[in-house]
Amino acid sequence: MSDAKVEDPRANAQGRTPKRRRLSRKFGRSLVPWLYLLPALVIFSWFKFYPMVLGFVMSFYDIQFYAPSEWVGLANFSRAFHDTQLMVAIGHTALYVIAETFGAAIVAFFLAFALEGQARHIRFIRTAIFLPAITSVAIIAEIWRIFFNSAQYGLVNSFLDLLGIPAQGFLTDPDQALWVLILMSIWKNAPYNMVIFLAGLVSINRELYDAADVDGASLWRKIWHVTLPGIVPAISVVIMLSFIRGFRVFTEVYATTGGGPAGSTSTIMTHIYKVGFEQIDYGYASAVSFMLLAFTVALTLLHTKIKSKFFG
Amino acid sequence: MKQIWVRTVLGGCLAAGLAASASAETLTVWSRQTEKSSAVVDAVIKAFTDKTGIKVETFYSSVDFEQRLARAAAARQLPNVVINDASQVGHMQKMGIIEQIDRDQIEGADKVSDTAWKSAEGSDGNYYAVPISAQAFALFVRKDWREALGMEQPKTWEEMRALAQAFTHDDPDGNGKDDTFGISIPASSTRGYASWFMSHFLWQAGGGFVTKTENGFLPALDQPENAQAVEFVRGLICDGLSQPGAINATTADSLPAFRSGQAGMLVDGPYDLGEIAKEPGLDKTEVIVLPAGPGGIAALAEGTSAYMLKGNKDKDAALQFMSFLISPEAQEIGMNVGSEVTPLVRLPVNEDIDVLKMRNDPRWEVYQKTFQDYGHYMPSVPDWTPIRQMTGEGFNTILAQCDGDIPAQLAGLNDQVADALRDQDVLDPSYN
Repeated sequence: MSDAKVEDPRANAQGRTPKRRRLSRKFGRSLVPWLYLLPALVIFSWFKFYPMVLGFVMSFYDIQFYAPSEWVGLANFSRAFHDTQLMVAIGHTALYVIAETFGAAIVAFFLAFALEGQARHIRFIRTAIFLPAITSVAIIAEIWRIFFNSAQYGLVNSFLDLLGIPAQGFLTDPDQALWVLILMSIWKNAPYNMVIFLAGLVSINRELYDAADVDGASLWRKIWHVTLPGIVPAISVVIMLSFIRGFRVFTEVYATTGGGPAGSTSTIMTHIYKVGFEQIDYGYASAVSFMLLAFTVALTLLHTKIKSKFFG
Repeated sequence: MKQIWVRTVLGGCLAAGLAASASAETLTVWSRQTEKSSAVVDAVIKAFTDKTGIKVETFYSSVDFEQRLARAAAARQLPNVVINDASQVGHMQKMGIIEQIDRDQIEGADKVSDTAWKSAEGSDGNYYAVPISAQAFALFVRKDWREALGMEQPKTWEEMRALAQAFTHDDPDGNGKDDTFGISIPASSTRGYASWFMSHFLWQAGGGFVTKTENGFLPALDQPENAQAVEFVRGLICDGLSQPGAINATTADSLPAFRSGQAGMLVDGPYDLGEIAKEPGLDKTEVIVLPAGPGGIAALAEGTSAYMLKGNKDKDAALQFMSFLISPEAQEIGMNVGSEVTPLVRLPVNEDIDVLKMRNDPRWEVYQKTFQDYGHYMPSVPDWTPIRQMTGEGFNTILAQCDGDIPAQLAGLNDQVADALRDQDVLDPSYN
């Protein structure tokens, strides 16, 4: 009896403890990933999400810096629809995004197609071609300003001179500046897209090419019927990233033309910068920024939906 | 572990305590200075502390100064005194961060020239700053180039253009290459540089941005004189007499274009004298009064002011500091004579100081003369910043379109300026 009495509590204790331990272990296990994530979460919340929310709140105010800010409701948002400079900037940005996205995607596709493979010299060339993608935009902008110097002795103008073409204004010509910037962005972004396409190309089943060969398909037929359908996910990623990146283009413009000449390269972001940081109108700048964010999110969702509907 | 925590907390308390006790006795001064030029402000401040025993904490930045100030205002942590461009007065007044200044409270206020006080005036006629330095713009010319080509110093627009043509086409540096240009122009819209640059020429033509009337301001850009000025400058750019890329250039681009021997003329203030003395060199350059346009000689006048910010607990200390800044002692230290570092005080505002006696340098004489006889301040509308921005973009557009219809383009810009004046409630009602 006494033995049993002594054993009983032990038995009870043994019976309870594993259950509790299991619970706490379970809890602990689910907690651990969060603990690992905690530093990143805190940093992102504090430096990204909190300012975003604050920016959204600011867009409803006429921000005063010392006196209390004045609530203006949706006035900042409605002002955007009558802002002719913003409309012009949206036009430039749209042209920039479309031309840059397709230009960079097409160049990248052919680069990837040409540079697929494992040979050592190909790897070397791939690395060389990838370099613009990892170079700072400010540095690239400075290099392009030198390349496209409008003087007779500018690098590109010297080449044109050899071909008998007169010196061009490039970044100083309102009709050419935006196109020079688009060309610069294609040069910078095509290699990045190329890497995504290369990953897509690897995943295509080689037997499909063999089957096409047996059927006597030409190179173009193979590209059209085998390669392109095979890399739809890669194309989708490239287009989505280009769109998001393109709509918030800033450094490329700011470091080369500052939005000029004659406002011909003003984009949504340079307009926001001017309104926010040069005219110090934080409320309106926040409202336009938020609209740009909402538009980008909507575009991304639309893109995902179209992709899943047509390409599974 | 526990010990570390205790130490950290104690250390923090101690630091906070020190900061609290320090803030009660110290003055915080912010100024837009570069790393080099801040030494001059430090010297002035040291003299102030030695004299009064009031300690001063400083913060200097040459980039994004206004943005930093805006953030400090939003956080309700404004400094006590700010030393910045005089032209910021309207903008800072609009932000609601500066105190009105009573001239009687500033010791030695009567020694400061009325022209200088004018730069500290708000649109309501009250003073919102204490002027501590003044400056005007003049023309730097490559003397060696000019003499090599046997040309005279330009006194009129025509002579200036002729010199620009000679610098561009006649190989003034004698290197056998067609690689030089007449004049270095910052015509970018960024920060309104194009507006800054055009201002001299508008006044030289006899025009201007706006006209002050009894009932406010009238936009004046549609006057034919202004069209003449724009046409003259557009000709320099469109005929290839300015440095390549002038239309996108800020002053960060136009100064190197002159210094490196790409362009032979530069419109600039005295703050770059030191840099230009280093390269291309004193012997190769000269400073002359800006050439006269059809309306005579004119140049933009600017200044530096000290502002007292709101939320000041110790106004007396701030007033003492501002009074000290205009005293002969501080003005002399601020002039930093004998050094090529950009001085805090370019032309002294204190009339007791004879700049020419102190600076034995004919280049300074040109600046002094220009300021006194030909200086024009930007118009004192309540907030000039949006108008500078708008006209900067407008002039950039006009200068970029070599075959544009200048009078029509200026008329469009004039309407925009009218809208901006209306927004600020200072548009003369007679404007239609």
